[in-house]
This record gives sequence, C-alpha cells and structure tokens, in this order.
Amino acid sequence: MIDHVIKGIVYFVTLVLIQVLVLNNIHFLRLATPFLYLYFIVKLPVSTSSVNMTFLSFLIGIIIDMFSNTPGMHAAACTLAGFSRPAIIKLYMGKDLVEGLSPSFRTFGYGGFFRYVITFVILHHVTLFLIESLTLFDPLFFVIRILASVAVTTLLMCIVESFNIESQKSGK
Amino acid sequence: MHKLLDFLIRKRHWFLFVLLEIISLTLVYRNNAYQRNIMFGTANVVTAKILSLSGSVNSYLNLREQNRALLERNGELEMELLMLRDRMDAMIADTVSFRGFVPDSTERFPYDFIMAKVVNNSVTYASNYMTLNKGLKDGVSPDMGVISENGIVGIILTVSDYYSVAIPILNPKFRLSCKVLGSNSFGSMSWNGRSTRYANLDELPRHVEFQIGDTIVTSAYSKIFPEGLMVGFVSSFEKQRDDNFYSLKVELTTDFHRLNNVMIIRNYYQDEQKQVEREARGDD
Repeated sequence: MIDHVIKGIVYFVTLVLIQVLVLNNIHFLRLATPFLYLYFIVKLPVSTSSVNMTFLSFLIGIIIDMFSNTPGMHAAACTLAGFSRPAIIKLYMGKDLVEGLSPSFRTFGYGGFFRYVITFVILHHVTLFLIESLTLFDPLFFVIRILASVAVTTLLMCIVESFNIESQKSGK
Repeated sequence: MHKLLDFLIRKRHWFLFVLLEIISLTLVYRNNAYQRNIMFGTANVVTAKILSLSGSVNSYLNLREQNRALLERNGELEMELLMLRDRMDAMIADTVSFRGFVPDSTERFPYDFIMAKVVNNSVTYASNYMTLNKGLKDGVSPDMGVISENGIVGIILTVSDYYSVAIPILNPKFRLSCKVLGSNSFGSMSWNGRSTRYANLDELPRHVEFQIGDTIVTSAYSKIFPEGLMVGFVSSFEKQRDDNFYSLKVELTTDFHRLNNVMIIRNYYQDEQKQVEREARGDD
C-alpha cells in the first residue's frame, strides 16, 4: 500500500514537471501538444476506489491548469476521464483482474493496453478541446487538432510504457 | 432511511464527480480575469518561481539567436543615428540660427520602457497568455503595452508584486487600433485563432490605398501604444460583405515562438487621458 503511495507521488511530481516545463512548449506543426501527464491517471492501480480516482484526476488537472493559465479546463477534462476510467477498464478487460494491478503491457496485453489508453486519451482530449474552443469555434481545425494531439499523446504514452522498466519486471 | 443512506454512500463518487466538475467549469466560465489570474494563474508566486527557473535555463539556450538579433538591431540603430546626424548637419548648415521656438523645459517624452523577461508563454491555445517577470514593485500596472524588438506583443492584463500576465495578440480578446503606414484611417486588429504568424485587420475604410507588403503600424488612437510601432506587413486582403471596408490579413513581425526579452511601455499621460475621456463620457 505504502509502496503504491510513494510510487504515485513520484509519478505525480515527475509528470507534472515534464508536462509544464517541456511538453507544454511543444506544438508539433502548430497543431499537436502531447499531454503526457495523463500517464499518471492511466497507471493508477486498478483497485483504486472511484472516489480517490476522481479526486486525484481533478488534482493533477488543476495543477496543470495553474501552470498553463487555463483555469479549470484540464481539471474538468481530467475529472471526467478519471471518473470514467473504471468503466473503460471494465469494458475492455471484464471484471476478472487481480487486486493491486496497475494497467501495463504485461497485465493488459499489448492490444488491451493500447485500446484502453486511446479510449481514455480521446475522451480527455475531446472534452478539453471542446471546453477550450467554446470561445472560438472552427470545426475542421478543431477535429484536426484533436486527432493530432490524440495521436501524439498516445504514441508518447506507449513509448514511455515500453521503457518503464519497473512496470515490466514486477507486472504491476 | 437506512437504505437511502446506504445508497448515498455507495454512489458517493458520483457526487464527488459532479462537485468537482462544477468547480472546474465555474473556474472556466468565471469572467473575473483579475482574481482568476492571481489565484490560479502563473502570476501566483509558487508557479511563477518554478517557471522563471526554467525560463532562466531556456534563456541560455537562446543566447546565440538573441545575440544575433541584438547585433542586427544595434547595427540598424547605428545606421539610423548616422543618417539623422547627417541630415541634422545638413539642416544646421542650411539654416541661419533660429531661436524663435524653445520647447518647454518641463515637457518630456511621455513614454518610458521597463525591460522584462518572458517566463511563461503559450501559443497553441485558443486564448493565449504570457507571464513576465516584472510586477507592481517594478512599476508595471494593468493596461500597459508590451513590445519586443521586432514589433508589438500585447497588453498587460494583471499584475502581482513581482510578476505580471500579458494578453498577446494571439488571444481573441485582444483588440488593437492599427493603420497602414502613411495613411491616417485606422482599423481594428484581432487574431483569427489559427496561425501564430497572422492576424486580421478589419474595418479598414475602402478609400485607403495600400499594396501587398505594406507596413502596418499602431495608430495614434491608443492610450497604450505610441503611434507608429511596427505590427506587421499586409499579406493579403479581401472586401468585407457590406463592401465599405477592407479586411486585411497581416503577417506579424513578432515571432511568438521565440519571445524572450520584451519591453513594457509606461505612458505617463495614460491616466490623465483616461480620466479626461471618462469625464467627457460621464453624462451618458
């Protein structure tokens, strides 16, 4: 248990710093920005209660907001995504998962993990960009931006996952 | 009763979810920009400290480019100085000494610059903001103009003790009165939300003559910027539907991806001008 908490805090701080200091400045082709900090929510243990899940998602969202001058946008998108995570996992993996597992290539299988991540990321990005573009609507540009960002975020997450040694060896 | 309680406890994550969404959406839609930015924005001391640390590292990475730009600018100014001196010499040689006009010694150039560094800058969102490392203690206050060595950047929105947040051209809320260099009719400049290199200049009267490539500068009708600051070049234009105005696409001279050092313009007469205008409008 304490192990999970420490690991969670390390993930949290590292991912927030990477996001605000490096990734927020990346605008691939002026379209796509990777939101790698979602990896924190993606990797929370399956057994995390829905309450904790929702709250932690909100927390990381609001912190990202503080750094990127977008009050509430990331928080709203993350809360929705985090809240729906148990449902997404149930949809793809059924109920027969061992307690205390974290989603990873080993526990979910390559296809399963990929499907899980991409669903999660799409849900988050659509919400985020919808909230953002309510001020200035431009449907085509909107769709292109979502697709580009989803692709970049998912790719980056899968890369990080495959290099995450700790996740491979323990299967957690 | 017991069942109801049981139900509420079992579904408590739903309530938490709704509560948190309400909080976030309130944050999104609350229009009071001032408090919003002080509380949750990068003008907040903690976030600004971290960002200025990373900014100080980044500024080293750009030194070569910055240096080149400074040298270029320096060279340009030197040329201008030489030209002006040359012209002045010619004029002095031309005129018999004339002492009829003596400017009032208390009169001064009403603008003054505060150098600042960009510590956080966004260009991808639909509404972008940037954080500067100068605040109240350095004499910055809301509604001051921000320019870079290449052209205008934006306007100060909120200020904390040591930091300030500016609203750049790349924000749909930004409006600026501009004109084609050499004419006096003005139009309103705004951003279309797509490319960081272009902005639109609308409501420019039909009778103004210009060509693609002409220079766009700030007009004199702004309390914030002095007249004649570089904004960009005309890149294309079209007639607006009601046919009385042009709509111009303007290529901005400021590169928002590489902003590092900017100047904040302080106008000594801004308050006075505002006050007079407020009094004039007081009767409505």
